[in-house]
Amino acid sequence: MATTITEPAAQRVERLERIWVEPRGLWGWLTTTDHKRIGLLYFFTTLAFFGAGGIEALLIRTQLAQPNERVLSPETYDQLMTMHGVTMIFLFVIPISTGAFGNYLIPLMIGARDMAFPRMNALSYWLFLASGLFMYASVFMHAAPNAGWFDYVPLALKQYNPGRNIDFYALGLIFNGVSTTAAAINFIVTIFKLRAPGMSMNRMPLFCFAMLAVSLSLIFALPSLTIDLVYLELQRTLGFHFFDVAHGGDPLLWQHLFWLFGHPEVYIIILPAFGIATSIIPTFSKRKMIAFPLVALAELLVAFIGFGVWAHHMFATGLPTITLVFFAAASMMVVIPSTIQVFAWTVTVALGRPEFKTPLLFIGGFIVFFVLGGLSGIMFAAIPFDQATTDTYFVVAHFHFIIFGAAVFPILGGMYYWFPKVTGRLYNEGLAKLSFWLTFVGTAVTFFPMHILGLLGMTRRVYTYPSSLGWGAYNLSETIGAFILTAGLLLIFGNLAYSRFRGAPAGRDPFFGGTLEWATSSPPPPYNFPVIPTVRSAYPNWDAEDREADVRRLERGELVLDEGHETPASTVVDAVPDEVLEMPAESPWPLAVAVCTGLLFIMLLTQHYAVAGVFAGLALLCVAGWHAKEPVET
Amino acid sequence: MSALPHSGEARTPAAVARVEQARLARPNGWWGMAIFVATEATLFGTIIGTYFYLRFNNLHWPPPGVPEPKVTLPLVLTGLLVLSSIPVQLAVNAASRGLLTRARVALLLALVVQAGYLGMQIHLFVHDVHEFPPSGSAYSSIYFTMLGAHHLHVFVGVLLSAWILLRTATGLTGYRMNGLRATAFYWHFVNVLALCVLGTQLSPLA
Repeated sequence: MATTITEPAAQRVERLERIWVEPRGLWGWLTTTDHKRIGLLYFFTTLAFFGAGGIEALLIRTQLAQPNERVLSPETYDQLMTMHGVTMIFLFVIPISTGAFGNYLIPLMIGARDMAFPRMNALSYWLFLASGLFMYASVFMHAAPNAGWFDYVPLALKQYNPGRNIDFYALGLIFNGVSTTAAAINFIVTIFKLRAPGMSMNRMPLFCFAMLAVSLSLIFALPSLTIDLVYLELQRTLGFHFFDVAHGGDPLLWQHLFWLFGHPEVYIIILPAFGIATSIIPTFSKRKMIAFPLVALAELLVAFIGFGVWAHHMFATGLPTITLVFFAAASMMVVIPSTIQVFAWTVTVALGRPEFKTPLLFIGGFIVFFVLGGLSGIMFAAIPFDQATTDTYFVVAHFHFIIFGAAVFPILGGMYYWFPKVTGRLYNEGLAKLSFWLTFVGTAVTFFPMHILGLLGMTRRVYTYPSSLGWGAYNLSETIGAFILTAGLLLIFGNLAYSRFRGAPAGRDPFFGGTLEWATSSPPPPYNFPVIPTVRSAYPNWDAEDREADVRRLERGELVLDEGHETPASTVVDAVPDEVLEMPAESPWPLAVAVCTGLLFIMLLTQHYAVAGVFAGLALLCVAGWHAKEPVET
Repeated sequence: MSALPHSGEARTPAAVARVEQARLARPNGWWGMAIFVATEATLFGTIIGTYFYLRFNNLHWPPPGVPEPKVTLPLVLTGLLVLSSIPVQLAVNAASRGLLTRARVALLLALVVQAGYLGMQIHLFVHDVHEFPPSGSAYSSIYFTMLGAHHLHVFVGVLLSAWILLRTATGLTGYRMNGLRATAFYWHFVNVLALCVLGTQLSPLA
C-alpha cells in the first residue's frame, strides 16, 4: 500500500531530474546556468586569484623581512604591492563572498530553483574571469598597475606613468565592475522575487539580508568608481582634463570619487562576513539569533552609513575643517550598528549551548579581529590622530585586521560549514581545529606588530628601510607570521581537498542548521528542492511539521512544478506566490558575450578603437542571439 | 497542475492581457530594469556632481575662448525627446490590454522621434568638438563626457525600442510584454536624465 502512495512522488522526482539535468563534461560547464555550478566556478577561480595575491604578499613580506633587502627591485615591489591589493579586493574577497557563497546559497536559502536571471548569472562569471585574466596579463608583460590600489593622481597620469600599467588598472576595473553590477542586480531581484511561499521579508535569513545590503551598496557605489576610471582613461589616452590644475581640473576629484566608492566598498567586503556569522552562530549555539530584526536592520544600516564617510580617507588633504568634522561624526556613527551586531553575536553564543566546532571557532576569531580592528578604526575618526598616522603602517594594521581577520575568517569558517552541503562529505575536525589556530596565530603575529611600526613612523608602500631605525625585529616577526598564516591556509585547503574524496558521508544535515539549504540532499540536486518548500519562520528547517508537509505535498504533486524548467515568483514583501516562471536552461551565449567583451577591452587597451567598435557590435549581436529564443520555445 | 498563472506560456495578445490582469507583483524583468536604472542614475549623479565640482574650482566657466552653450536647439530637441515618453507609455498600456497593432504603431512613432533626436544631437556634438575640443579645458572635458554619456544612453534606448518592435512583429508573448515594460521604464528614465543633463548644460547662463 505504502509503495503505491509514494510511487507518483518518485516519478515526479524522476521527471524533475530529466528536465533540469545539464550536459555533461566541459561543454556543460561552459554553458551552465545552474547557480550551484556557477558558484563553484566562482569559488575555484577566486581561490586561484587568492593564491596569486597570497604569493604577492609573501614576496612583499620577504622583501621587508630585514633592512636593506634586495629581493625585489623598487619597480617590481610597486607592481606586486598594487596587484596584491587589487587582487585581494576585486578578484578574491568580493567575488568569493558574493559570486561563490551568494550564488550557491541564496537560491537554496530562499527555497528557489535558480537565480532570477540565470543566463545573466553565467555572464557575470565569464566577465569576472575575463577581467581577472585581463588584469593578470599585465603581470606577465611586466606592466602591472603600480600606483597602489587607490591609484592616486597625479602619479597615475600619463606624464608620470607612461607605460600601460595604469591602463590595465583602469580598463580592468571598469570591466570587473560590469560583471559585479550584473551580479548585484541578479541578487537583488532574486531576493525580492523568488522567495518561497510564506518567506516574508521578516522571515528571510540574515545571510540574505547581508547579501541584499551588499548588492544595494554595489549598485550605488560602483558607478562613482567607474566614472572616475573613465575620466582617468580619457585623460591618459585622449588628453581630456579632469585632474590637472593647469587646465582647470583638480587632483582631489579623483580621491573624492574613488572614496565615494571606496568606503562603501569596505562594507561590501565585510557585510558578507556578517551574513556568514549569522548563519554559523545559531547552528552551533542551537538557538535562534537574538534581536533578529535589529541585526537585519543593522546590516542594512552599516551599508547605508557607508555612503556618508568617504572623506575620512582624506583627512590629510587639506579639506575645510567643517567638512572634516562632519565626516568624523559620520564615521563614529558606524559604531552603533556594528556594536548591535557584536552584542547580538556574542549574546546568542552565551545564551545558547555552543558547540565549538571549527566554523564557530572561525567566527570567534572573526569577532576578536573585528573588535580590535574596529577599535583602531574609531581612532581614525579622531581627526588629529588620523593626520598623525595617515599613510603609516598603523593604517595597514587596521585594515588587515578588518579585511583579513574580520572579512576572510568567516569565509574560511563558511568553507568548513557548507563543505558537507556542497560535497556530501565531512571534513576532518581535528585537522580543521589545528588549521584554525595556525591561521589565528599567523594573523595576529603578522598584523599586530604593524600597529607598533606605524606608531614608530614606518610609512606604507616603502620597498625597504635602513637598519638604523630599529624596525627589523618587528618586520621579521610579521614575515614569520605570514608564513605561519600560509601554513594554516594550506592546511585548510589540504583538509578540504582530501575530505572531498575520502571524507565520511555527511548526510542531508550534519549540523542541524536552521535554514532551507539543509532541507535538501547533499549535494543538492540540479532543481534544488523536489517540492518548493513553504515557510512559517526565519528558521524553517527547525519547523519539523512544515518539512513533513513538504513530503506530503510532493506526494500530492502540489508546488512540485515538474512540467517544465520552472520556479515560482512571489510578491516582494509578503512572498505570496504570484506566478510560475519558465526558467532559461543552459546557453552558450553568455560565454560568447564575455569573449567579445574581453576582446573589446583588449582593443581599448591597445587603442585600436575601430576594431573595439567591431567587437562591441559583435557583443550586441550575441546579446540579440541570446534573446531571440524564448524560454518556453525550448 | 498548479493554479498559479504561467506568464511564459502566454503566447497570444489575449493570453498576455489575462496574465497582466492576474499578476500581483511586477515581473522580474521590470525589477531588473529598475535596479539597473538606479545604478545608471547614480552614474549620472556623479557626472553632474563632477560638473559642478569643476565649475566651483574655476573662476571662468566656460573658460575664455569657449562659446557659451547654445540654448534654442537643445531646448527644442529635448522637448521633443521628452514627449516621446507618451507614445512609449501608450504602447505599454495597449499591449497589456492585448491591443498589439496599436502598441506597434505607438512604438514606431516613439522610435522615429528617438532616432531623429539622436541624429541631430550627434550632428551638434561633432560640430561642438570642432569648435572647442574636449582636450582644451576641464569645462570642455566634462561637457563632452556628460553629453556623450547621455547620447550613448539614448542610443541604447533606440536599440531596445527597435528590438522590441522587431520581436512584436511576429506576435505578443508574456516574455516580450516584460521586455516592453522594461524598455518603457528605461525610456522614461532616459528622458528624466535628458532634463537633468540639459539643466546642467545650460547652467552657465543662469
